[in-house]
Amino acid sequence: MDRILIALKFTLLRNSTKGLRIAGWVIGAGLVAGTWFAAAAASGDDVRGTVLTLAFAGWVVGAALGPTLVSGSGALRPDYFALLPIDRRALGRGLLVSTFVGIGSAYVLLAFVAAAVHAVALDPLTLLIVLVGAPLTWIFAITVSRLVYGLLGAAMRSKVGVEIAGIQFGLMFAAIFTGWMVVQAAVKNIPALIQYGLPEGPITVVLDAFPSSWPLIAIERAAAGDWTAAAMLLAGLAVVDAVLVLATAAVLTPRENVVTRRRAGARRSAALVDGGGILPATQLGAVIGKEYRQWIRDPWRSLEVRSGVWTGVAIGFFALVSGDYSVLAAFSGLIVVFMMGLAGLNLYGQDGTAVWQTIVGQDATSIRSDVRGRQWAVVLVFLPHALLITAIFIVITQHYWVVPAVVAALPALFGVASGAAMITSAVGVSPGVDPRRRVGPNDANGNVSLHVWVVMFLTAIGVLPTAAVVVWSLVAPSAAVSVVAVAVGLLNGWLVAWLYGRIAIGYLASRMPDVYSRIRYGRVFREQSDGVLDWLAKSTLKGEQEMVARRQKERQDKIAARTRA
Amino acid sequence: MDQQTITLDSQYALELVGLRREFGDKVAVDDVTIHVPRGSFYGMVGPNGAGKTTALSMAVGLLRPSAGRAVVEGVDVWADPVAAKRRLGVLPDGLALPERLTGGELLTYWGRFRGLDAAAVASRSAELIRILELEEAEALGTLVGEYSTGMRKKIGLATALLHAPSVLVLDEPYEAVDPVSARVLTRILRRFTETGGSIVISSHVMSLVEQLCDRVAIVAEGRVVADGTLDEVRAGVSLEDRCVGLVSTPSVDEEELSWIGS
Repeated sequence: MDRILIALKFTLLRNSTKGLRIAGWVIGAGLVAGTWFAAAAASGDDVRGTVLTLAFAGWVVGAALGPTLVSGSGALRPDYFALLPIDRRALGRGLLVSTFVGIGSAYVLLAFVAAAVHAVALDPLTLLIVLVGAPLTWIFAITVSRLVYGLLGAAMRSKVGVEIAGIQFGLMFAAIFTGWMVVQAAVKNIPALIQYGLPEGPITVVLDAFPSSWPLIAIERAAAGDWTAAAMLLAGLAVVDAVLVLATAAVLTPRENVVTRRRAGARRSAALVDGGGILPATQLGAVIGKEYRQWIRDPWRSLEVRSGVWTGVAIGFFALVSGDYSVLAAFSGLIVVFMMGLAGLNLYGQDGTAVWQTIVGQDATSIRSDVRGRQWAVVLVFLPHALLITAIFIVITQHYWVVPAVVAALPALFGVASGAAMITSAVGVSPGVDPRRRVGPNDANGNVSLHVWVVMFLTAIGVLPTAAVVVWSLVAPSAAVSVVAVAVGLLNGWLVAWLYGRIAIGYLASRMPDVYSRIRYGRVFREQSDGVLDWLAKSTLKGEQEMVARRQKERQDKIAARTRA
Repeated sequence: MDQQTITLDSQYALELVGLRREFGDKVAVDDVTIHVPRGSFYGMVGPNGAGKTTALSMAVGLLRPSAGRAVVEGVDVWADPVAAKRRLGVLPDGLALPERLTGGELLTYWGRFRGLDAAAVASRSAELIRILELEEAEALGTLVGEYSTGMRKKIGLATALLHAPSVLVLDEPYEAVDPVSARVLTRILRRFTETGGSIVISSHVMSLVEQLCDRVAIVAEGRVVADGTLDEVRAGVSLEDRCVGLVSTPSVDEEELSWIGS
C-alpha cells in the first residue's frame, strides 16, 4: 500500500500549479546551495560547526512550518481514506512514508549532507558518521514536518492551526513588504557570521542541544578520537526519530469518531437572543453583530485577522533586528490596520452563497446597513489588536516622540482601509470554496491579485491629507501641530470611510443579484457600462474566469498527455 | 405604471410569465408560465436538473431572468423588489448561511435586519426554535455550520417565516428532514395556508406533493409540461406515473446491471 500512496501523492503533486512548483524548486535549490556554500566558506572549524548547526536548525523549522502554506497539493489527508476497508495502522504508516518522497524532501536530505564538508575538513574517516547522521537528521526533519501538519488538523480545524498559519502568512507578507530590511542586515552580517561564527552563549548552547546538530557534534567528537561519544549521539538521534515516527504514525491514523463527536458547549449570546444585546436592535446593529461574530468565530476570517496581526509583529521585529530602521518598529500598529484593508477586500466572496439573505431581505435601507455594518465590524475586530501592537512596539523602541503621528494616522487608516475594503468587496466579488466545503487556508478567496493592488492604491490616496500633516508634525514638531494632525487624521478617516462606503452602496444598490450570480454561477447576467467600477468588476471577473479556465486547461492537457502515452 | 395598477389587486399570489434563463447555449428555464392562486399550496415537481431551482431563483429576485416576469401579489419582483420581497418568505436549497451563528443568533440577526422590533424578534425566534425542535442545539451553542442537513432546512424555514410573509417559496423543504420533523413542518405549512397564505414548494418526491398540494406543475427540461389542480394533472393515475409518463426516462433492460446482487 505504501507504493500506492506514494504514486497517489505524485499524482497530486502533478496537479498542483506549475508556476508555484517551479518557484519552489528554484528557491529550494538556492537554499541547498547556500547551505553548502556557507559550510565551504566558513573561516574555521569552530565557525563551520556553528554555521551548520544554525543552518540545519533553520531547515528543520522551515520543514515544520512550510507545508501549511502550500496546503493541499502533495498532502494526503487521513480522512480521505477513512471509509476504505484497509488496516488503519498500515495506512498511518503509509501516509508518513509518502511524506518522504518528493522534491522538497530530497532538498532537505541534500542540505543535511552538507555535513560532509565538515567531516572532510576535520577527518575524512568521519564521513562514515555523515553516512548515518544525514539520513537520521532527514528523518527527524521530515517527521517533525508531518507531525506538525498532522497536529494542525489540516490547519483550519483548530485555533492553534489558524494561529500557526497566521504566523506563516504574517512572515510571508512581512518578507514581501520589508524583507529588504532583513536582507540588508543579513548581507551585512552573514560575512561576519561566516568569518567569526556566533558568540558563545545561550544561543549556541540551545543550538547544540537541538537534535539536528547532533551528527555535527558527533563528527567533531569522532575527529577528536572519541568515537564512543559520536556513536552515542547518533544513537540518541535514532531514538528521537523512532519516537517521532511512532507518534506521527499514530496521529496520521484515521479515527472513526471524528465526525460524530458532539460538542458539549453552552448557550451563546443568551442576552441577544432574548431581545437584548450590547448593540442597538436596528438593521445596522444586526449586521455589526453578525459580522463581528463571523470575524471572531470563522477560521478563515480569523486567519485574515491573525495574518494581519502577525504581519505587524513580524515587520516590527524585522525593523528591530535591522538596527538601522528600528524606528519603523514604532509604526507596527499601522501595518496591522493596513492589513485590515487587505483582510476585508473580499467580504461577499468570503460569505459565499450566504449573500442570498441580503438579497431576499432587501428594503429601502438594507444595502446601506449591510455595507456600513461590515465597515464597523471590521474596525471593531482590528482595533484592539492595532492598539496593543502599537503600544508594545512604542514601549520597546522607546520612540515616544512618534506617538502624536501614530495617534493621527490610526483613525485615518482605519477609516480609509475599511472603506477601500468595501469597494473591492462589492465590485470584485471573488468566491472561493463555498463556506461548508472549505478545508485549506486558501479556500476562502478566488483570484484576488488585482484586489490587493486596488486596496493599496485606494488606501494610499485616501490617507494623503493625514500623511501630509503627519510629515509636517515630524519635521516641525510642536504641540499645536500635533493637535492639528490628530484632528486631520480623525476627520480624514471619517470622511473617506463615508465616501468609499457610499461608493460601495451606490454600486450595490442595483447589483446585489449580480454579486450572487458571481458567487453561484461565476458570471454576471447583465450588460455592464463603462465606468471605472464596472471596468474593475469586469477585470476581476475576468481574472476569476481565467483562473478557472487555466485550471481546467491544465487538467485537460494532462488527461490528453496521458491518453497519448 | 399602468401594468402595475392593473395587476395590483391580483388574484394570484405568484405569477411567472414567460420566464426564461439561458446559461450560454443551454436553456435552463424555457418560457415557464405558472399562476399560483392566493391561498393555494402549489407543488413544482420534476426530475433533478429540470430547472425548478433556477425558475424559483428568478421568482424570488436572486437570479436575473433572460426574459419574462415574476410577479408577487401583483408586484413585479424585478421592477419593485422592495415591495415584492416584503411579501415573500424564501427557503433556497443548498445555499450557505452565516455559518458561525447559532440558530437563535441567526434568527435574531435576520429579524432585526428585516426591521422587526427586538421584542417581536425574540418571542418569534424562541417560538420557532421550540416548535422546530432546535432547542437542544441552541442550548449547546451549536453553530448553523455544524447543523445536519435536516436541521439546516428547519432553521432556513424559520428564517423564511420570521417576518410573517404572505407568500412562501420553498425549494425542497422536506429534503433530509426526518419523519417526525416532517410532520411538524407539514402542520406549520398547513396552518400557513389556512390563515390565507400561499405556498410554492419544489420537490421530486411525488407522494409528498400529492399529499400536500392542491395545485401542481410538472417541469422537465426547463418547460412546464403539465399544470393545474392536482386532479387535473394526475388525470386518473398517480402523480408519479403521470410525471414519469411525461418525462423521458432512460430504460433499464433485464440484462443491464446484471452484476448487481451477483
